[in-house]
Amino acid sequence: MPSPVLAVNELKMSFGAAEVFKNVSFSVAPGETLGLFGKSGSGKTTIGRCIVGLEKPTDGEILVHGKNILAMGKKEFRDLRPKIQMIFQHPETSLDPRMKAFDSLVEPLRVRTGLKKAELLEKAEKLAELTGLRPEHLARYPNQLSGGEIQRVVLARIMSLSPDFVVADEPTSMLDVSVQAQILRLMQKVQRETGVSYLLISHDLDVLRKVCHRIAYLENGNITSIEDLRKKEVSKHARSRK
Amino acid sequence: MNLLEIRELSVEFPAGEGSVKAVSRVSFDIREGETFGIIGESGSGKSVVGLALLRLLPANARVSGNICFAGKELFFLKPSELRKIRGKRISLMPQNPAGALNPALKNGLQIGEVFERRGIEKKEGMKKALGLMKKLFLQDPEKLCGLYPNQLSGGMRQRLIAAMSLSFEPELLIADEPTKGLDPEARAGAVELFTKIKNEYGKTMLLITHDLDLAHEVCDRIAVMYAGEIVELDEASKILHSPGHPYTKGLIRAHPRNGLVPLSGQSPSRIKLPEGCFFHERCRHAAVECSRRHPEIQNHKGGRIRCHLQFLQ
Amino acid sequence: MDNVFADRFRREGFLPQLGEYGGEFAKRVFQRKDMLFALAALVLFAGVALFAPLLSPYDPNAIDLKNKNLGPSEGHLLGTDYLGRDLLSRILIGARISLSIAFGVVLISLLVGIAAGCAAGYYGGLVDECISRVIDIFLSFPGVIFALTIMGVLGSGIFNLMLALSVVQWARYARLMRGQVLSLKKQEFVLSAVTSGAGDFHIIRRHIVPNAIAPLLVLATIDLGHVILSIATLSFLGIGLPADVPEWGAMLSAGKEFMRTAPHQTIFPGLAITFVVVIFSILGDGIRDILDPHHEGGEMY
Repeated sequence: MPSPVLAVNELKMSFGAAEVFKNVSFSVAPGETLGLFGKSGSGKTTIGRCIVGLEKPTDGEILVHGKNILAMGKKEFRDLRPKIQMIFQHPETSLDPRMKAFDSLVEPLRVRTGLKKAELLEKAEKLAELTGLRPEHLARYPNQLSGGEIQRVVLARIMSLSPDFVVADEPTSMLDVSVQAQILRLMQKVQRETGVSYLLISHDLDVLRKVCHRIAYLENGNITSIEDLRKKEVSKHARSRK
Repeated sequence: MNLLEIRELSVEFPAGEGSVKAVSRVSFDIREGETFGIIGESGSGKSVVGLALLRLLPANARVSGNICFAGKELFFLKPSELRKIRGKRISLMPQNPAGALNPALKNGLQIGEVFERRGIEKKEGMKKALGLMKKLFLQDPEKLCGLYPNQLSGGMRQRLIAAMSLSFEPELLIADEPTKGLDPEARAGAVELFTKIKNEYGKTMLLITHDLDLAHEVCDRIAVMYAGEIVELDEASKILHSPGHPYTKGLIRAHPRNGLVPLSGQSPSRIKLPEGCFFHERCRHAAVECSRRHPEIQNHKGGRIRCHLQFLQ
Repeated sequence: MDNVFADRFRREGFLPQLGEYGGEFAKRVFQRKDMLFALAALVLFAGVALFAPLLSPYDPNAIDLKNKNLGPSEGHLLGTDYLGRDLLSRILIGARISLSIAFGVVLISLLVGIAAGCAAGYYGGLVDECISRVIDIFLSFPGVIFALTIMGVLGSGIFNLMLALSVVQWARYARLMRGQVLSLKKQEFVLSAVTSGAGDFHIIRRHIVPNAIAPLLVLATIDLGHVILSIATLSFLGIGLPADVPEWGAMLSAGKEFMRTAPHQTIFPGLAITFVVVIFSILGDGIRDILDPHHEGGEMY
């Protein structure tokens, strides 16, 4: 077993006396998709936000490549940040409404690398190809794009940072069924091509069953079980062989 | 008997030089007592049909066609007559239960307000509403009336709105995307809720949704909309189990439980619709004819379908 | 309920989409007759202010005691004041002074307000607590009286007047900006900029300010009129500008002595003030209507 990209140990979050979750532990291997299933209000989004550093858990550790991000210095964490990215639930607010899709797409690159326009265009073209976007999409403002197209731009933007790990928080729950299938299949394709790992947070078990390697069940603030879907497939094959 | 007859309904919104064809030549009937579903993706025009029924479209919409409700032509009604129908005889359950309730008023007050406006004795109305709420599995409705909307869960809010919509015993209830954004538990609750409304009240309902499960559970007949027109119309079980139109097939296959197979491509631009069949660019079976001639909707095995490829069915 | 549907339409792409923000904005301005009128009046007014020295028939400060308190005539289109100075020339030069002070004040308050509001809203915590209390203190004084006090301490003069009025105005911008930033910083596109490792300054400059600025610009437009009114008020009270500077409020104040015998000395400067304030109000209202999506789509067919 390769060393995990991400390991979460005994994560705990409480607001005053109210405990949102505790004893949350799981790890994600390179190139793996771990599903996180929970009902609304179970704190699954908060777990995702803790991992990308948008919220601070009360207790526990989050190890990225074996290093605890909660114990890191500011500078060290900022250098690590591009490696852990997040896709949000609501496409309509995921892109800056005053920026064209192209500018949103290349913004992280522009900030971090100071590439020239021509180089940025080249990169954008590659990313657009990876995510199935056409150039005319990139010339539009977010309000001229559909939810599915926005999630593609978001995915392309994230992949420009070549992350090792992406937290996808209900990326398709606001989308239509057929677009949902497109986006989830696209995420799988990107994973095959780049080897990125996903934490897919969802309340839709059907979806998780279709695209995840393993599913962690979050109930009453605890991870109650982690189901390995690959093993089942193996055992199914074994059975059919018999 | 048909409670509602829609004939050749078209809705366009001017946009720059051209116009966005939101709905083109949609015709269907809703029989008394049946639950009719319109399914389609966002942007397919299904909600516009619902809004057109209540004449709630923005002022810049260009509408043509006929809508006949209980023998009355809706487009020729005076505003005063229209108000008598809106809310009372045709009731709309808005899409977003959170936004449809005033967060500053207690639930009881909001329900009471519905009756006040209609000039009905408030106490009597409240009694009726409480009874309705009880029937719609809201426990302890008196206590609920003393709470604010934000103290209720999404599912409970939806039931409250359902009770409000039903309190005038409308002849037609329109529900627009009742399950959008709800988690599975609340969604299961909504399915139960609509089944109950359907069975116990025998209400005629128009259900506008993209949720195939809900449509399957509740609807008697379903119209599938794509790019502003009806591509298939048939009994619910037939549509969902043996769909005829390639688009319906694709839509069903894209469901996570049926394989999560994406439909390739995107819905066409509504300002410049493609020549021929609107779906041919994404259709796996597209033939030469499909890109040349726009198919008319035709009868087929008891239902209606808009496709050139008869051999598929 | 109507707005819910209008939003819905926009999201699902049925309403005409906004093109380039600027182009669409200009188009909407041209569709509104009141704004077009106000804009034309503003251009005229700014032109007059700019070329006032060329346009004015007389030296605004030339005293001619032989021709004092004259009514409108061919020689003096708007008459003369109590020292025989040409009223038209004084009003024209006064436009220049009022407009430049007003723009200066609004610009200073806008910049200070944006900076303070951004810092308070974005960083939160102790920073927010401190800045918010300062804003509260400044907002708790009645504007003109506060400015009057400052002027009393600093003495009169164009620069001091600008400073005093800016001190009064900035807090409103800061409070508005803070609210905008608070709601923006929770939005996903800001969060994703944070997770992509962008610095605070970049996020504020690229994402927060451009998205937060619209209501501040509306306020600024309406404020231009208010500030001109405040300048006039202070001058009327005799504390704004030195006596020799032709300013509308000061002209009103001087003219009120001769209300019975030469009412034109108060009527014309008064009309000028009213005209400018109304123009900026119309412009501000119009900009708000255009920028606020909830103002359209309410009508039903």
